[in-house]
Amino acid sequence: MEEAPELEPATGNDELMQSMMAMMDPETAKAPQSMYADLRRETPVMELPGAVAVCTRDEVVEILRNPDVFSSGMAATNLGNVRPLIPLQIDPPKHIQYRRILDPLFAPRQVAPMEEKVIGLVHSLIDRFADDGQVDLAKAFTIPLPSEVFLVLLGLPLSDLDTFLVMKDGIVRPEGATMAEHNEVRRRTAASIYEYFETVLDEREREPQDDLLSRFLVTEVEGKRLTRNEILDICFLFLIAGLDTVSASLECMFAYLAQHPDARRRLVEHPELVPSAVEEMLRWETPVPGVIRVALSDTELAGCPVHKGDQVFAMLGSANTDGPGADSIEDVDLAREENRHLAFGGGVHRCLGSHLARLELRVALREFHARLPDYEIAPGAKLEVTPGIRSYPSLPLVFP
Amino acid sequence: MKVRIDPELCTGHGRCYALAPSVFADDEAGAGYVTATGDLTDDELEAAELAVRNCPERAIELFD
Repeated sequence: MEEAPELEPATGNDELMQSMMAMMDPETAKAPQSMYADLRRETPVMELPGAVAVCTRDEVVEILRNPDVFSSGMAATNLGNVRPLIPLQIDPPKHIQYRRILDPLFAPRQVAPMEEKVIGLVHSLIDRFADDGQVDLAKAFTIPLPSEVFLVLLGLPLSDLDTFLVMKDGIVRPEGATMAEHNEVRRRTAASIYEYFETVLDEREREPQDDLLSRFLVTEVEGKRLTRNEILDICFLFLIAGLDTVSASLECMFAYLAQHPDARRRLVEHPELVPSAVEEMLRWETPVPGVIRVALSDTELAGCPVHKGDQVFAMLGSANTDGPGADSIEDVDLAREENRHLAFGGGVHRCLGSHLARLELRVALREFHARLPDYEIAPGAKLEVTPGIRSYPSLPLVFP
Repeated sequence: MKVRIDPELCTGHGRCYALAPSVFADDEAGAGYVTATGDLTDDELEAAELAVRNCPERAIELFD
């Protein structure tokens, strides 16, 4: 939910992968909070081969605030792209120029007019299963919604939904058993993403529309137009950072509410709690559990040496549950009044899409519960959560 | 009591103006700025304190 989409290291260091996968196996990914607490107590900064994992709030903040030491450049994450993704894989000072043009496009006042559209999309998805008494919420709601919102935002037809989902999945969760296979799928998918957006941008160049892509074509940084490659690198990032993360957030929230009927009833009876409930579930669940940086020089974190070239895992989920009154499931309070969560990251790379994501999450929770206030996990269903971004590939619900 | 935002720390999470619109507003890039620039009334102070408790960057400061 920061600009960074995934907890998977760039290099194929097997030992490192094993340590990371052991940390985020599917069982742990389902409820990682107690693992975070153990790590903070035992190894707040954990040394791994060629990497460190950082679990305490203060140190996570230190990483996010010092991009000159902890770089977010291409070495941090391998996503199949051939050039750095903009703005995620650009460090300051160039990063500031890109954010200066992108921030206004995703500012609250810019995304607010999208609300009516999002409400419409939410209801038309719910219409399709509201009378069925059961649904796989992932397939029918949480996966399509963010992609549909994005298609509308970019001025693309909703009929491109499947194309979008295939491209997104090819990068975020590539098929294959080994890192080498993953990287090959990513490379091929990346090529198809560049090609898809090339075609659309050609169309917009010939016939500009009132949409984001057309705006990119005439946007200037320091008096210069964005190049075609720069626009492609922005679009690539939107596709992989803006879709899965919102789907995963919706899944984490509905899974929590399905399994905590008291909290859900409170939300149904007090819809004015939706905004704070969104923040609290973002904090507790932290659907994007961490972001990755690369150390540009030798340094240390909480007394632990960090070597130049080390990958640095900033565990956002652990930072968000660090501290008394924040670290146990009993502490989850949908009306929480103090919440400094870092679910959207922090520092210069604070999630560009956070305001749009919040809009989608609030509208989805509000409209869904107004129509379907009672639901539970389908009896016998075995929930699975993916490591990396904490998504539920399947979320079967039943409702009266 | 007055309130200020440290522009070096603010990265536009937008919590202040969402939670305390009587004290803060959003600029066109989504960063917050203080609209209640003088001494805060009791109500404004309460709102500003809520914003302080919810700023992920700890960028908001109350001062005399």
